[in-house]
Parts: sequence; structure tokens; C-alpha cells
Amino acid sequence: MWHRFRTVWRNLTKNQVFEDDLNQELHSYEAMLAEEKSRAGIDPSTARRAARLEMEGVEQIKENVRDVRVGVTIETFLSELRQSLRGLSRNKDLSILCSTMLALGIGATTVVFSIFYAALVQPLPFRDPDRLVELRESRLSRGIDVAAFSEANFWDVRTQNHSFKEVAAFHFDEANLTGDGPAEKVTDRSVTAGFFRTLGLSPVLGRDFSYTDDRNGFNNSVVILGNKFWRSRFGGDPHILGKVLRLNDRACIVVGVLPPGEPWIDDQIYQPFGYRADADRESWEFSVIGRLAPGVSVQGAQADLSRVAATLDKTYPGADKGIGFTLLPASSWLASDNARRALWVLVGAVSCLLLIACLNIANLLLARGTTRQREIAVRIALGAGRARLIRFVMMESLLLSIFGTLVGLVLAYGTLRGLQAMDLQGIPRLADASLNPWVLGCSVLVAILTGVLSGLAPALQTPAGGTAAAMRDGDHQTGSREQGRLRALLVTAEVAISFLLLVGAGLLIRSFAELVNVNRGFKTENRLMFSVSMPESYYQHGAGKQFLDRFFERLSNVPQVIAAGAVSSRPVEGADTGMGIAAVSAKTSRNEGNPPWAGWRIVSPGYFQAVGLPLLRGRAFDEHDKPVWAEPGQPEPPRRVVISQRLAKLLFANEDAVGKHVALWKGQGNMTAEVIGVVGDSRERGPASDPALTVYISYGRFAPVSEFVLHTRGNPLAVVPTVRAIVAKLDPNLPLADVRSFEEVIHRSLSPQRFNVILLTAFGGLAMLLATTGIYGVLAYTMNRRTAEIGLRVALGASRNNIFGMALSQGMRPALAGMLLGALGALWLSRYLETLLFGIEPFDVFTYLTVAALLLATALIACILPGRRATRIDPAVALRIE
Amino acid sequence: MKKPASAGTALLQGTLDVLILKVLALEPLHGLAISRRIAQVTGNTFQVKPGSLFPALHRMEQAGWLSSSWGESENTRRAKFYQLTKAGIRQLKQETDQWARISVAMASALEMF
Repeated sequence: MWHRFRTVWRNLTKNQVFEDDLNQELHSYEAMLAEEKSRAGIDPSTARRAARLEMEGVEQIKENVRDVRVGVTIETFLSELRQSLRGLSRNKDLSILCSTMLALGIGATTVVFSIFYAALVQPLPFRDPDRLVELRESRLSRGIDVAAFSEANFWDVRTQNHSFKEVAAFHFDEANLTGDGPAEKVTDRSVTAGFFRTLGLSPVLGRDFSYTDDRNGFNNSVVILGNKFWRSRFGGDPHILGKVLRLNDRACIVVGVLPPGEPWIDDQIYQPFGYRADADRESWEFSVIGRLAPGVSVQGAQADLSRVAATLDKTYPGADKGIGFTLLPASSWLASDNARRALWVLVGAVSCLLLIACLNIANLLLARGTTRQREIAVRIALGAGRARLIRFVMMESLLLSIFGTLVGLVLAYGTLRGLQAMDLQGIPRLADASLNPWVLGCSVLVAILTGVLSGLAPALQTPAGGTAAAMRDGDHQTGSREQGRLRALLVTAEVAISFLLLVGAGLLIRSFAELVNVNRGFKTENRLMFSVSMPESYYQHGAGKQFLDRFFERLSNVPQVIAAGAVSSRPVEGADTGMGIAAVSAKTSRNEGNPPWAGWRIVSPGYFQAVGLPLLRGRAFDEHDKPVWAEPGQPEPPRRVVISQRLAKLLFANEDAVGKHVALWKGQGNMTAEVIGVVGDSRERGPASDPALTVYISYGRFAPVSEFVLHTRGNPLAVVPTVRAIVAKLDPNLPLADVRSFEEVIHRSLSPQRFNVILLTAFGGLAMLLATTGIYGVLAYTMNRRTAEIGLRVALGASRNNIFGMALSQGMRPALAGMLLGALGALWLSRYLETLLFGIEPFDVFTYLTVAALLLATALIACILPGRRATRIDPAVALRIE
Repeated sequence: MKKPASAGTALLQGTLDVLILKVLALEPLHGLAISRRIAQVTGNTFQVKPGSLFPALHRMEQAGWLSSSWGESENTRRAKFYQLTKAGIRQLKQETDQWARISVAMASALEMF
């Protein structure tokens, strides 16, 4: 063990240049020894032998020399370390201040790094993720790009493409899990048999779906469990395989358990679905992924899919008119462009913060360096080389940064846990963020960089020539004029960077305020939202409608409930179901070629009132209205819809929309319906999105809905027990899920923005604090240095106001210069924030002015103390100091 | 760490340093010349073997008392020359003072009895 350690150590310390040098030195010694002996009359070969003998074994000597060198190196290092530590502990306040600043800087950096790593760097849990793509249908001629796939088109693409090793589809659903414990609503994804193979993963337990598993056959109903669900509901039971679960009253056998991870493998239950000859071609409900075949590029696959699209366009002129396909690389699956940009902004911001911390520490060390000039001068006089001196000064800043890093990592750990506990939505894999080796490596690198950066200025300030001058001056603790200028420069940089950060934070705060206060269309106060997950049987024979009607009737007897309604897809949080829509009238044919895309929602008659959407024209639905679809075996119903205001304007310009006819599912189903009412606009897709174009369709026997909205008196959550009791009485197998107030739904939807605001504001605040201490430090230092001069001025008759003004202008000069530079920088950089902003421009005058005022005020405060001290200088005392 | 195996090491080590410093104070020398010069000035009392010479030279170089450079010996052979640095000169002065004190003290102590 010891021997091995020594070997390793030897290899580490063995320096080739040094070894060669030593070899040559000993060789020349031996040669000269031999020469000496032969000169003394011994014959040359005997002389050489004698010389070699006298060397007592060259290897032994070399070994000793090496030992000595290593020993001395370690000793010097340790003694320097001791000296640095002693120096730091002598200046305890300064050391603590510097370490704290570094801890904050490095802590913040580490938090951002770990989040950044989890969201953007950590690879997806799939094999060769760079060969994976998502496929989407598009109708670019109609401006539709984000559509999913229809089932039939998926099967056609799967068989007709030549560029994918495997293509797989999935469909998101929810199901009721009953029996075996309480009824629970679970996320239930239907996937084609090759889905997991396409991703390149296999179950950790049991088997993957085989191509013969068919969801439509009852007897071989099989499911695979998501890892998290397996752990939470079944406690990670290793004998789960073969267990029978009841999903929507259907018996299913567990055949496998997935590995953990996201995206797409984090649902609770997976079921297989297979090919159907009668697959639907018009409803875009499927997501499709593919693994590129070896040697095929994304461009190649795109071209291949264009070929397939052309065939489909020709074969199915109805549903597939203008069809095209777009490909999304796997790298975009987790983080949207905006999430990506926000993370980069955070990285930029935290780098700025760290830079300010460095500048500040450099500043403080410089100030202290002045009082240490004498010590350094003595060292130079004693013959310490410049490199050695720089190393000595650097060692201090490196030590500070090591302390700072240790504390910073603890801070980072706590902050990260805190952020994760906040249950923020929309930050990819936030729960996975941790201080992993990659993050720690980055932090250590940053710490070293910080140490070097903050030590650089003080190190370079070590007197190069004027040793005598430094020794003489040292006692007076004054610094050179040049040093004063350097420190002012550092402060200017600090203020400039703070300005940048504060503008960034200010813009985000303003934007967030806009988001929170924007007119949502809905009324969100005192609204309760919940969903009741209905089994498949509720969608047949009017069972769902029956339940709904009885439920609404009971709810109307609850005094706290003012209005109750239901909708097919929850506002803000729910899926967005859409269709092409056009006006049917002779005059308005302008939208014919390019019908607008509108979301459609099935609603109960009470929905508009419950969610607070005003009826602007016509009437709302009543009990006699029916869905637009015909029930099997029933005559076609009179088709009626209610539309949102913007949609009415778009379709019918200034005419009254009520009584007009519209074509629904334009280009697909072409169903004509009458507009019976117009309701107010609402931000269906969340406060950050524009008010949606929406078509409302009445619920009915054939189309029950399961997302509920209650308008309540007082706290909406207070009625939850009552609601639960009513539902349990109607059907004990119906679980209530996703129970939230509407306010909370909105709150959650703003998580990503809130996350950015919180972090950037914290960074901006810290930056301002650091910059303020910087301004204070420099001015206090300068005033101290000018004590004698000020004393002279006072003696010559300068008033206190003169002195104060002088101090102020001296202190404010670097601050003002920094603000100007910061404003210019912010103007240049803030355009990168543009897509993250809502309702304000990147150049928001109000934000810039506020930031300028804030910085000005803190700079003034930082200047007042040293300034007032300067006015109190007693000329007699001041002049005596000299 | 292995110690050079020669007689009276403990005494010699401190002595060796000051002797090397002393002979280098006059002019830069290479290893063999240092060894010969020490033998010469001590009347052959100290025969410095390479096994103790080189570790000492390297240790003193690391300590910053000596610097070395390659040059040509009197017989035009390439050799490494050592010379005193500022710190080395200071060190020599310190040690000389110390030796002076010690030898005075020892001499008077030995005379007393």
C-alpha cells in the first residue's frame, strides 16, 4: 500500500525536464571526476571505473535529490499556506466579508448550473437520443404547424417511409383504476408495440409489448407500469408481474415496469394499441416519434416524408389536403425555446453576479494590499522572486475562494432543495437537479477562476521596482494614485454590471406584473376546479349525461355554490382541442382558402356563468341544445354553437354573428352549424397567450364532459368535502382529481415566469449590494488617503460643504460612469429578453429610470458616510499625521 | 526519506550548507569544483561525496539560496554552475554570524574547564 502510494507520488512529481537535467549534471560530474583522475596519472579506463565507484550508485543519488526537492516543495507550499492563513485570520472581518461574497456568488452559480445541467445538458434517458425525432403533421398552406398525427396517417407513414428504423405513436388518456385500494384516476398512455424499442429502452422488470399485444382484444389486455407509479402505488413490489388491475372496469395484467425518467416514460400506466383497418384519419390525437435509420440525416428523412406526404395528399384529398410533416429533434423534447432562453439568461445573470463578487474582492484585497506593501517590499528585499510573490498573494485569494466555495455549496444545496419544494411547473427536470459531479466540477472550476481573477489585480500591484519607496511608504498606509484609479475602474465595472442585472430583473418583474394583471377573460376569484374521471361506460347510453344532470341538481342545492358548469378541457391547464372554421355566407368568402384555427370546447349550459364569461350577443346553451354530432341511430340534431368575440369579428367582421352559419372542422368534416350566441374572449391557454378563438359546443348524451368549474361564495376549497360527498353518493367509484382553485391554476401556469423573476431579482439585489459596498470602500479609502490634503484645504479656508461636495463628486464619478456603461450594455443585451417579456418592450423607459434612480440612491448613501467623515477632519490632526 | 549514509551526518549537514555558501560567495562553481574547493579550504577535513553534495545543492536551490545555469567548465566540458542569490548571500551572513557566536561560546566554554 505504502509502496504503491510512493510510486504514484513519484510519477506525479517526476518531471521529465528536471530528470534530464539531473542526468546530465551527474553525468558531467562523473566525466570530470574521471578526467581529474586520469590527469593524476591513472590510466583512463581505471579512472572511469574509479569515478563510477565514487558515485556510490547514480540511482541512489538521484533518488535522494528527488526526495529533497519534493520535500522542499511541500515545505515551501505549507509554509506559504500557513502564512496566508495567518494573514487571513489577522484580518478576520475582511476574510469573512470576502468569503461571504464568494459563497453567495458561487452558491448562486452552482444552483443555476445544476438546474441548467438537469434541463439542457443531462442526456435523455434513451439510447442515442440524437437519432430520435418527433414527427408532426402540418397543413402549412393553412398556417397549421403544431398538429399531432391522425391514427390512419401514422400507420401510412409507418409503412411508406424509407428513412426510419422504427416509428411509434402514442395517445394520452386517463383511466380509472378501481379495486385494490381506493379508486384513482391515472394517466394512461396507449403506445404502439414498438414505442419503447424506438426510444431504445427496455423494462426494468418483465417484458416490453410485443407486436401481437392488441389492446382491442379483451383476453390479452396487458399493461406496463411507469416506474414512479409502481413505487408509489405498489411500493416497488418485485412480484407485481402477473397482477390484475381494473382499468375502466377492464381487467389488465401487469407485464412490465419501465425505468425511471422523462419525458414520455413518466406516465402511470401504458397500454398497447395495434393496427386497425378503420383507423380515423381526421382527428389529430397521436404523437409520433421515430428513430432514424443508420446513415439517414434529418434532412434526408424530411425529404422522404415529403414524398410520403405527396402520396397521402393525392390518395386522400379530403382529410389529407395540403398535408406535410415536420421533424423536431429530441433535444427540444424537454425544454421549449423559451425555457432554453430563460436558462441561458440565468446563466448570464449569475456569471455577472460572480464577476461583481470577484471585482469587489479584488477591490478589498487591493485596499488591504496597500497596508501590506511593506511586508511585500521586505520579501522582495530578501530576494523573493516576482513569480513567488504573485503566488503568495494569489494563495490568499484562492484560500478565500475555497472557503467561499465550501459555504457556497452548502447554500446551493439548501436553495436547490427550497426551489424543488416550491413545486414549480415548467422547469424541465427541476426535480432531477442535484449537485452531481458535473456541477461540482464546474463549481470548482469557477472557484479557481474566481480566486485567480480576484487575486490578479492585487498580485500585479506588487511593487516591481520601487522597493525602497514601498518600504518607506508602507508605514503610512497610503496607496499610489494609480491604485486609486484602478479601484475606481473596478467600481465602474461593478456598477455597470449591476445596472445590467437590475434592468433584466426589472423587466421581468414588470412583465410578470403585466401577466398577473392582464385581463384573462375568465373570472378566477372564488372558482373551484376539479375533474371527475368517468369510466368508458359513462360515454355510452347517456350514463354520463345522467350523472352530470343529477350532479348539477344536487350542487344547485348547496348554498355556497353560486353557479356550476362543466367543460371538456380545463382552461389554462387542459389540452387544446382545435379545428378549422369558416363562415358560411355568400359575402364572406375571404377566409375560404385559409380558415382560422379555433379551439373547441364542449360545455354544459351553466359553464359560461360558472367561469364568468359574459354573454355578449344572442343566447347561451339551454337544456334543449344537443352536441353537433349525431347519436348513433338518432336523426341529425340541429347543430348550434356559441363562439368567442374575436372569432365572431374574424368571421363576420362587423355583422352580427348570431343567426349566421359556420362550417366546423373545415377541410376535414365540413359540418355546418348555426351561431346562437357570442361570449367574451378568454385566455384559454394561460395568461401569457393571446385570447383564444373558441367554439363552444353543447354537451349531451353523446358528449359528456368531466372538468368542473364552480363559482362559490367565499373560499372555493371550503366546498370540496361537500362536493366529494355528493359524487361519492352518486357513484362511489368516481375519483375526484386535480382539485384546485382557479387562482391556483393560474398561479401554477405562471411558474416558469415566477421562477425567472425570483432568481433574477435575487441576483440583481445581491449585485446592487455588492456594488454599493464597492463604492463605499473606494470612497472611504480615497478620503482616507487624502486626509492630509483635506486638512490643508480646511486650513486654507474650504467650507464643509466644499469638502463634502468634493467627496461626493469623487465617489459618484465611477458610479455614474458605470451607470452610463450599464445602460448602454442593457440596451444592447435586453433584446435577448424580448421573447421572455409580456406586455412591455425590452427598452422600457420606466424600468431603466427606476433602476437608474435605485442605483443613484444607493450610490449616494454609500458616499455620504465617507463624505461626512471627510468634513469632520481636523486640520491640526490631519497635518500632524504627515 | 532516505538519509545520505556518511559519518557524522547531523553535524555535517548544517556545516555543509554554510561551506557551500561560503565557497560559492567567491565565484559560481560546478559540483565537482565545489567539492574540491571545500576539501581545499578545510584542509581536507571534509571530503564531500556526490551522495551528499547533490541533495544539498538541490535543496538549497529550492530554498532560493542558489541559482543554477549550464556553462562550460575549465576543460570545456558542459557543467551545471551554481551561484548565490540575494537570499543566499543573506543566509551566508546569518550562518556566519551564528557560527562565530557558537565557536566563541564553545571556545570559552571549553577553556573554562
